[in-house]
This record gives sequence, structure tokens and C-alpha cells, in this order.
Amino acid sequence: MSAAVPIIVLFYVLGVGAWLAAALDRAALKLMAGRPLAAATMAEPWRQGDLHLVRQRIWTERPDAMNWLLAPALYLILAAVGMSVVPFAPGFVVADLDAGIVLWGACEALTVVVVFLHGWSANAPLPLIGAYRYVAIGLSAMLLSMFVLIAAALPAESLAVSAIVESQASVWNVVRQPPGLLLFLMLGLSLTLRGPFDYADASDLAGGTSAEDSGPARAAWQAARLAMLVSVSAMTSAVFLGGYHGPWLPGPVWMLVKMAGVLAALVGATHMLARLPPARMLTLLWTVLLPLAFLVLALVGAEVLLWK
Amino acid sequence: MAVSGLARLATSAPAAIYPVVGKDGLAAVEDLSLHPAVSLQPTPRHASVLLVSGEIRRGDHPALRRLHDQLPHPRATLWWRTTPAPGFPQAENVEGDVARAVELVWRQLMTGERRSEDNLLPDEPPAAWRGKGDHGQGGEGMMGGKPYGRPMAMTDEDQRDGLALDAYTACFGPFLSVLPPGLLLELTLQGDVVQSAKVLRAPFAQAVADEPLRRVARLLRPLGLAGAAERFQRTAAAQTGDLKILDRALRWSGALHAIPPGLGEIAGEDIRASLRRWWEQAQGIASPASLGDGRLVDLLPGLEWSEAILVANSFEYDRLLRLCPPDREDDGDQEDCS
Repeated sequence: MSAAVPIIVLFYVLGVGAWLAAALDRAALKLMAGRPLAAATMAEPWRQGDLHLVRQRIWTERPDAMNWLLAPALYLILAAVGMSVVPFAPGFVVADLDAGIVLWGACEALTVVVVFLHGWSANAPLPLIGAYRYVAIGLSAMLLSMFVLIAAALPAESLAVSAIVESQASVWNVVRQPPGLLLFLMLGLSLTLRGPFDYADASDLAGGTSAEDSGPARAAWQAARLAMLVSVSAMTSAVFLGGYHGPWLPGPVWMLVKMAGVLAALVGATHMLARLPPARMLTLLWTVLLPLAFLVLALVGAEVLLWK
Repeated sequence: MAVSGLARLATSAPAAIYPVVGKDGLAAVEDLSLHPAVSLQPTPRHASVLLVSGEIRRGDHPALRRLHDQLPHPRATLWWRTTPAPGFPQAENVEGDVARAVELVWRQLMTGERRSEDNLLPDEPPAAWRGKGDHGQGGEGMMGGKPYGRPMAMTDEDQRDGLALDAYTACFGPFLSVLPPGLLLELTLQGDVVQSAKVLRAPFAQAVADEPLRRVARLLRPLGLAGAAERFQRTAAAQTGDLKILDRALRWSGALHAIPPGLGEIAGEDIRASLRRWWEQAQGIASPASLGDGRLVDLLPGLEWSEAILVANSFEYDRLLRLCPPDREDDGDQEDCS
């Protein structure tokens, strides 16, 4: 099989997944708002994206033009690179790295940089506040992820995502360490600037780092956010939900079904859960969620030792 | 061909509006936001139609002109429930069905039948480059000054953790979507923490926009609960609806717990208690309370941006007006901020 096939599939899944995520997002908002749902909701992302494309891109006074242009492109690249280590079937993966989880962790950390650059480069107060706030919360959220992912890698005794998926052939990690899945989903919300973890593009900042975006720039940033959401759902499915393992259906179909489920859960949480003020969230992260993540890691470590 | 195809598809999207709310204009805009053919935007950069609803002060006209020029092309301005102010030559007055008028203007803009409005102000910095200081910013060494008329941030004592970060003073309002309409604040921020606050202009009075359900909705929005807020607003507008669904949306969202205890407390009632009271009022199990007053500017220092926005949106309008005496006499003509 040509090495290009997994790459083509990856971009195809990112594109279709982003459209599905946008449609689910519209549907969830309408459900919460009590508006009627119609089949046309599925077409709304196209209309909305198209609308951005026909509008003017505005440059603010003295922006950091290069970083403003680069931020959405880098965000999209991080989403694609992060997803490149996730197998959709045995051996069907773009980059089957021995340290795939480390590459994913690097993408998480660089996301903080990219979101900061996006807020910084408009040279305006509200985007900059969004950027600073995101860094403050994002760093703690990334720490969560490190503990949780190491705990997921322990039973596989490998940092390769394909090995972690294989280690779940009999028991999925969500059964072994259910809090790990919840904590990783929280990180997913943070990486994609959504709902209770949206400190960058939040409603209380009138759009935050996106407040000065218009036209194609807005379309690009929104598309990159959606692509990262797809990437997070792929990683969640692989690391906690057994990846392509499952009865009756072919492995890749299982993978896509699980990804769609994770997407729906993340989109639902976006619209259903309130966002805490940053100081309150930091307290929650450091005093409850990080100790919980460490506890999960310790328990999984003990389980692996005793099992041996 | 491709462009006209894009334009046709864009026309079928809801009209993107940035509302400028004046005196007694809030309830009408909130009700308009429930119309499926329009979509209210949080920032002018995301909108194509500037909708002025209700009378605005003469002193706010310069801010409105700046706001107008922030909308990307193609753009149009509609004046509703008030007459266009002088200095807005291409503005159009709306009488009758505003949703229909907005839809029409939107379609004309997207298809190119209507010419996009020109800038009202010259596209140049508010002050000239002063060419003084190491970097021409007009200050001493690398610090201070007002490059292009914008005050440069200077290090200042921090009220919270002792980190002497840059303090930045800027004006927020009078038409910032996250603040009550008309409220113009001068805030000094360190990072996202308010160091000091001044009220430069009070919010507009809103005679008919203050039912408890609308107040709950205004607090849910900055908490990231746009869908739930719309449901509360819809019930307020229709004056009927399933309160059990609203109750579930409020409780399951964790909104009450998300608000820090003690935040915005005046006369023994904090925001959490206000939210609870409004919800109980809406259900008919509590009656309006007569609470003491203070000053909004005394509540804001030390708060993070998100907390400050919650505080600013946590009062009944008549009470908010009492809490916001301007820190100086408003002569109506003076330019407050640039």
C-alpha cells in the first residue's frame, strides 16, 4: 500500500470531521436554545464559511501581520501532525512512531503558543487578554494531559499510539481508568477553545483572540479549531476507547463511530456547561484535577506492577 | 462566476448584525435576536449590518463613527426606533418590520445590489508619530509616551500577587457587546486584572427590558451558555414556556457554582444570590427585593476581566443606573477616548 494513502485518508477525515463537528455544534446550540432542528442545519457550516469568504479581511493598526497569518495555518498543521500518529486500522497510520504520544504532547504544548500568537498579533486589548488567559489555563491543562497519557501508556509499556491501541484488545482504557477519559476530554475542550475551557475565544471577551478576525481569516481560524477537535476525538478514541477494536464492524468503521461519539460529547459539553472565571478554574485544576490525574497514574502503575 | 456563487450561498446565511443599543432599545434587540433570519454578533468585525436601536447620546456619536468603520465591507447601517444622527450620510431609517428590512439589506449587500458604506473617518492613527524617545514613542528611554496617541503600558504595583507587570489603561464601551449598553468605562488592567475603574458615561435607561428571565439570560451569556441564555430570552419574550426545562438548563450547567461566592456583593447579596433570586422571581416564588446601593467602580478593582463582566451584568437596570454615577460631568460633546 502506498504511504500516501494514510495521508490522504487523514486529510479527508479531518475535512469531513470538521464539517460534521460544525453541523453538530449548530444543532447543539439550537437544541439548547429551543429552536426547531431541520435537515438544513447540516448545510449551515457551508453557508457560514462561505459568508466569511465574501467579506473583507480587516487589518488592525500595527498588527503582527506574519503571525496573524501564520497562526491558523500552524493550528491546522498541529491538528494534522497530532492525528498522524493515530492508527485507523492495524498498520494503517501515517507515522507509526515509537514515541507517538510524545509527538502528540508536543502538539498540545505548541497549541498554547499558536493560540497566544493569534491573540497577540491583532494588537488589540481583548484578543491579548484572551491570549494571556489561555496561556495561564492551558499550561495547567497540558500538565493534566501528561499524567493521563502516561497512565494510558503504562499498560502498553510503550509510547507508541499503535501499541496503546493494541493493549486495549481485551479491556479498553476507559474501563481501566475512567477518570482518565474525563480528564482527557477536558484537555480536548481546552485545546479546541470550547465551552467551559474556552478562555481564549470566550463570549465574555466578545470573541477573545478572534475578536478582530474578519473575512477569510475568521474562516481559517474556525476551520483550524474544528480540525483540532477532530484530531482530539481521534486521539481520545485511540487511547481510551480501544481505537479500531470492536465486534462485528470493520476496525476503521469502529474508529470513525467512536470519533463521532467523542465529537458529540465535546460539542454537547461546549453548550451545556458553564465556564468558571479563570482563577476559579486554576484552583480547580491544581487542587482537584491534577491530584486526581496523579492518583490515576499511581493506581494504574500499581495495577501494572501487581499484574506482572 | 465563482464569486457570485459564493455570494448566493452567503445570502442564505442569517444576516450578521452588530447591535448598537440606545435608550430603551435593549428589549427590542433581544427579541429580534430570536428571529431565525438574523444573527447577533459579539464584535463589529463579524458583522455586516450595524443596527442602531434606540436614541443614543450626542457624546457617543464619535464612538459610533469609529465602530461603523470597524465593520468589514460590504456593510450597511440601519437606524431603528430612532432617527439617523447627523454625520451618518448613508444610514437608512427602518420603520415597520425590522427583521424584513435587515434581511433585504443583507441580501442586497451580499449580491452587490447595494453599495457598501464608505469609511466615516480617515484611516489614520488618532495622533501623529511624535518622533521622541528611543523608539519614537514620545516617552523617556524605552518607556512611556503615547505612540500614535495610544498610551504605552508602564510597570505598576500589582494588587494581587506582587508581580509588577505593565498596567494598561483603556476605555471600554459605550457599545461593547459584553457591557450594558451605553456604559463607558476607563479601566486600568494588569493582564486581565482590573486595577482601577472609572465610569465615563452611565448606561442607557431601559424601561421595558428588565424581566427576571432576561436578567438571568444576560448573566448566562458571559458564562459561555449562549444556547441556554437564548432559551431564557425566548421564554421571556413569549411570556410562556416550560420552566422545568429552564430549571434543568440552569442547574445542570453549573452556572450557580461557576460564579465565585461573594462576587459583586452589595448589601449582603452577591451575584449568585441575585441569580437565584431572579430565577425564583421568574417562577413566582420570590418577590423583587429593594437592595442598598454602592458604586460599580468600587466593586471592580481586583477582579479578573470575566468576573468584572459578570458584575457589570448582574444588576437590575434601574439599580445599575444608580450604581454608575459618571466620575465627571458629561458635557455631551467631549470626546472621551480614542
